[in-house]
Amino acid sequence: MQRRHFVQQMCAGGLATFGLPVVRFAHVRQPGRLVFVLLRGGVDGLGAVVPIGDPSYAALRGPMAFDAEALTPLDATFALAPGLSPLHALWEAQELAVLHAMAIPYRTRSHFDGQAVLETGLDKPLGSADGWLNRLLQVMPGERSGIAVASGMPRSLAGPFEVRTWSPAQLGTVSDAYLDKLAALYRQDRVLAGRFEAALAQQADIGEEMTARGSAPRAGVTPLFEATARLLTAGDGPNVAAVEFSGWDTHANQGTAGGALDRLLRQLADGLVAFKGAMGPAWRDTTVVVMTEFGRTARPNGTRGTDHGTAGVGLVLGAGVGRSRVIADWPGLGERALYEGRDVAPTLDTRAVLRDVIATRFDLTSAQVERVLPGVRGLGRVL
Amino acid sequence: MLGSRAHTRFGLGARPSDAPLGLDPRSAVLAQLEGDAPSRPVPDGADDRTVAEAFRTFRTALGAGHAGDAEREAARREARRTLVQVVAAESASALTLRLTTARPFVERLVAFWSDHLCVSLAGKFTVGPFAGRYERDVIRPHVLGRFDEMVLASARHPAMLFYLDNAQSIGPGSRAVARLARLQRVRPELAPNAPRGLNENYARELLELHTLGVDGGYTQQDVTELARLLTGWSVTPLQQSGVPRFEFAENRHEPGRKVVLGERYGEGEADGVRAIRALCRHPATARHIAGKLARHFVADDPPAAVVDRLAATFTRTDGNLREMARALVREDACWDAAHHKFRPPQDWFIAAFRHFDLQQMPVQGVGALRQLRQPLWAPPSPKGFGDLVRDWADPDALLNRAELARTIARRVAPRRGDDAALEIAGPDFQWR
Repeated sequence: MQRRHFVQQMCAGGLATFGLPVVRFAHVRQPGRLVFVLLRGGVDGLGAVVPIGDPSYAALRGPMAFDAEALTPLDATFALAPGLSPLHALWEAQELAVLHAMAIPYRTRSHFDGQAVLETGLDKPLGSADGWLNRLLQVMPGERSGIAVASGMPRSLAGPFEVRTWSPAQLGTVSDAYLDKLAALYRQDRVLAGRFEAALAQQADIGEEMTARGSAPRAGVTPLFEATARLLTAGDGPNVAAVEFSGWDTHANQGTAGGALDRLLRQLADGLVAFKGAMGPAWRDTTVVVMTEFGRTARPNGTRGTDHGTAGVGLVLGAGVGRSRVIADWPGLGERALYEGRDVAPTLDTRAVLRDVIATRFDLTSAQVERVLPGVRGLGRVL
Repeated sequence: MLGSRAHTRFGLGARPSDAPLGLDPRSAVLAQLEGDAPSRPVPDGADDRTVAEAFRTFRTALGAGHAGDAEREAARREARRTLVQVVAAESASALTLRLTTARPFVERLVAFWSDHLCVSLAGKFTVGPFAGRYERDVIRPHVLGRFDEMVLASARHPAMLFYLDNAQSIGPGSRAVARLARLQRVRPELAPNAPRGLNENYARELLELHTLGVDGGYTQQDVTELARLLTGWSVTPLQQSGVPRFEFAENRHEPGRKVVLGERYGEGEADGVRAIRALCRHPATARHIAGKLARHFVADDPPAAVVDRLAATFTRTDGNLREMARALVREDACWDAAHHKFRPPQDWFIAAFRHFDLQQMPVQGVGALRQLRQPLWAPPSPKGFGDLVRDWADPDALLNRAELARTIARRVAPRRGDDAALEIAGPDFQWR
């Protein structure tokens, strides 16, 4: 499958650019990996990276405000919520950029629109659009492949460039003779042929590792991140991965330290730290981007939670960060500063951040970057 | 050929024991639409008393920090187990009906509308015990009836009221909030965590997913106004006996005027009903429903003319869902082999069971659907499950089907070896 796409790409003109013989071209490999982590549901940015130094913070959040002692300070304004404290090790290692007051460029409070914009990389929701990671794979020269670590194909990777999926729910193993017969049948199906072949290739890639481990890992953030690391570091492993977690839609009983949201944040932070460990030396050229479709209302709602809002928080970790810092044009939390009187105002565009990341992470021309994330300028300040 | 399309396009897959459909499969499919939709009896272990007692124990025991905590915790665990069994019994009953039904088209419609107005037991534990009831009380009675009645029934069902939080949405200017504020001035320790404001979740999804659709032309203001109008649409308090049921809690209703999509509304339950009916009659709703039905029954990218005709039928019949189903059967595109749909996991799984004439869904079947990523009544979001080939036909999923096919075939046709498995794992069987 990968080979077939690779051949298609060569015919599409990649060869001329590199001027390399066909056989050697297969070994040209982009020198980096990108992992896009989507937190579905809308993470409350003020509950994750707390603007404890903002003079309006405590009054605005009321009973949902954190005590400063519970937090891990990053700079004069921001501090990590207790659940994110494991990330401080990456902060100390100069491998963590925190993005705040960031939003997609389209004003919506709908999960579906928000995720559509974030995952298609366009400036408005468009039902038929490819995912931006799929376009990234389409334009990227050289050997490359993508994988979705998700239950189902995430929109970000959907599109004409065929990618693999992996989820921990494997149903056991079956005999090769049976799969061979099935593969012969599937070759007759115009739509499904390539997909079944890709499944068999993946079975060969990771089946043994999973078996060697004794059993499929239980679903959970850390096991999923560890599995992602194994997939990425396997021979011929993909260089683009999408990972996703849901459960961030905290309309009620969100809590503070040790509460529902904070427990989710801890799982995420532990998972990211485990991922760095599991990547081993490959971590040095791996960048992880963590984003969510929107932030939440600045004030608590009537049910000790927060409703769908606008700007929120994101993370960039790993290779290329260079210097840990919070990247934000902080709009403040004063009454007049809030977007529509209720949400953190957006001052940083998710697409501009993504543009910085891919332009630095991969060896792309500006025309290629433009195809992936059209119509937006990079910031030149993220990586 | 047309006969087999009747089984796949409008059914749940052919069974070896099915009588031949004859020369006129369209009439055979249309005949299934006559009469009320079949009811699904309350399964053993999911009766009112069991659910009411377990739910009350489970919820009441939540407030910890009292003497006798260990005892309460044990009772709570037991109640939780009971509620999990309720979900299992309801699921097995619903899936078994899909195996045995003589009117598979109606069951397809039940599944379609259950997904359109979905609740999900994946996110909130409180939804689970009511998900099966939701299908019985909200979907089945109206699946061949009127769309607005179905939406109203859903708006008033505990499963939906819990799932999308309207049960705890309270008018900030309501009497309940004023009373709580007075109480707390005297005794500040009282109910510090009581909800006291709007929750827009249900109002938003009612507009975006259930009726007008995301491009339906409403604003954030409409969402907030609708949420204000629907404050007080809640469930009976835990102290009250019996299974939680809908109540309009007037003291939590937001007073004053509301404007939704330019239409003025006042106070009270009746104006909420009027607003929901208006949303159901909205032209954007007709297009939204027509598009979804066509995508489900015709093709991922259905002909525009089909969608137009379905939308016209919806408008002309004032959302008569039996007429919508009949209109689908009359569409030639549904019978045209040029169009086909990839079977979502539930459809594939049920069709596989029917292919081997199995009459009973085993308990493991419910878990298998989870592994196939389409657990019953547990979509990942209020949007429901995806309905397109790109949502389901990823490589990993095809392999999962291959593996599960082998497991099923070994159990039901051990002597036929891999051949039986290939019948349901092969590419032809993945399409309908």
